[in-house]
Amino acid sequence: MSEYTVDEIMCATLAARFRDGDEVCNGMASFIPVAAIMLARRTHAPGLVWLAGAAGLDPRPDRVPASTLEAPLWRDSVMYLEQFSDFWHYAQNGRNLGIFCVGAAQLDMYGNANNSVIGSDYHAPKVRLPGTAGLGDMGSLGKRLFYWNTNHNPRSLVERVDFRSAAGYLDGGDERERLGLGPGPEVVVTNLAVLDFEPESKRMRLVSVHPGATVEQVQEATGFELLLPDGDVPETTPPTDEQVRLLREEIDPDGLCKREAGVK
Amino acid sequence: MSKVKTLEEAVGLVSDGDVVALQNMATQAAPMALVRELIRQEKRDLGLVCLVGGMAVDWLAAAGAIDRFIGAAVSMETFGLCQQYRKAVEEGRVRVEELSETALNARLAAGARNLPSLPTRGLLGTDLIDVNENLKTFEDPFTGETLVACRALVPDVALVHAHRADEHGNVQIEPTIVWPDLGIFPKAARKTIVTVEEIVDSEVLRRNPDRTVLPGFRVDAVVEVPYGAHPTSLHPRYGYDARFHLAWTKVSRDDDATKEFLDAYVRAPATQADYLAAVGGSERLIEITRT
Repeated sequence: MSEYTVDEIMCATLAARFRDGDEVCNGMASFIPVAAIMLARRTHAPGLVWLAGAAGLDPRPDRVPASTLEAPLWRDSVMYLEQFSDFWHYAQNGRNLGIFCVGAAQLDMYGNANNSVIGSDYHAPKVRLPGTAGLGDMGSLGKRLFYWNTNHNPRSLVERVDFRSAAGYLDGGDERERLGLGPGPEVVVTNLAVLDFEPESKRMRLVSVHPGATVEQVQEATGFELLLPDGDVPETTPPTDEQVRLLREEIDPDGLCKREAGVK
Repeated sequence: MSKVKTLEEAVGLVSDGDVVALQNMATQAAPMALVRELIRQEKRDLGLVCLVGGMAVDWLAAAGAIDRFIGAAVSMETFGLCQQYRKAVEEGRVRVEELSETALNARLAAGARNLPSLPTRGLLGTDLIDVNENLKTFEDPFTGETLVACRALVPDVALVHAHRADEHGNVQIEPTIVWPDLGIFPKAARKTIVTVEEIVDSEVLRRNPDRTVLPGFRVDAVVEVPYGAHPTSLHPRYGYDARFHLAWTKVSRDDDATKEFLDAYVRAPATQADYLAAVGGSERLIEITRT
């Protein structure tokens, strides 16, 4: 088996979720999702439509750039989408731009996210977080949300978010459906494991643990009880030699994903 | 009639207490020369409207110029959280009306079109509706669906920076990403102040009228300020100044160091030329123009 680092297994795992012809957006400070998109487009999903930074259509940056919401990310785009009159019209209409890759300061057992405040009083927060930005929309618009988290710990994966700044499965079960909100969070890829949401209860469920991590370790690092799959918990498929080569030599030669994942 | 003004005259159009719609993605295209002038003129009790606020919000919070923020996020992206803004919110000096992007756009579009509100599906199921008196759920009269009504927002003034304009205030951009800051802020605001890299003859605009994004009839003042977005970027002319952002992130956790920094880069330079010399002069500007 090849040598790889944690950002590389996260990239390969996210990339495998994209199908040819899917339409995906990335947000701010999202090196791993951007690398995963670039990897998928160079391997199994050349027709993956990428709206870089929700603005530049099908760009060709020569590598993962220092910002995922700035030039030169959108180098060689076929179109710049004006954010107010283009992007949000396509995104609010369910026909397009179905996948949004995003991170959250807190994510709870039902996939609700918090990027607003830590503490019990919104108007007098203990910590003011950056704000919900596009996620507050994407959570309610029936998008397939791909969450990623490079620091799986009980403070970021919590039983209940302090403040719900983006809708996941709300209180679970069919609550989301009753509000007419359509699809929601689909997967959570962390530095330790891959998780999804059990179809009935909508509770977060372990899908696989990365090689080297254990189920106990993942449970310990999670602020609530994870549902387990039937039978043994499988290992996450590691990246192939070719995927590792592409990531290191072509897609992210500056190691921005490694920095994001805290890889020394 | 010419709308060309000095920075001092243009910012004189902003009154204490105004709601200011400020162009400002995380590290992009903020009218920083206008922001510095707001601080020099010691404006107070301003409300800021931003899609994503960056260093401009941090500076204005540090200078005590703002008491409320309306927008979707405040972040300098890879340079981290805006620490002075964050501290001001946590200490109760700045109140935050946090909106999703569609809710902010709906509030501004309603303001632009002289409607009392416009709806969105964004934010349904979140707590952000409950803490905001400008958002209310309602039942659509045609389908019975639950939607979020977003009350019209009419900023007192919009501040934007772009590539060029003529003396009448017709504003033109080079091919670049357009955020709501240019797309909707000036349409909603009562007044608009524009800084541009260069003021050109109208004949230059006539060659590419499709690149004119803001009609002069909506512009109250236009000021020529080369590198007026520094340290943020103005794609495709110049990139953001990473070194300057890093310098700010180093000082902004400390109030004394913050004050020294703002004295050196905001209060001391009398002109834009002085400011550009203070941040590294032509050598530095050539570096950010290459990136």
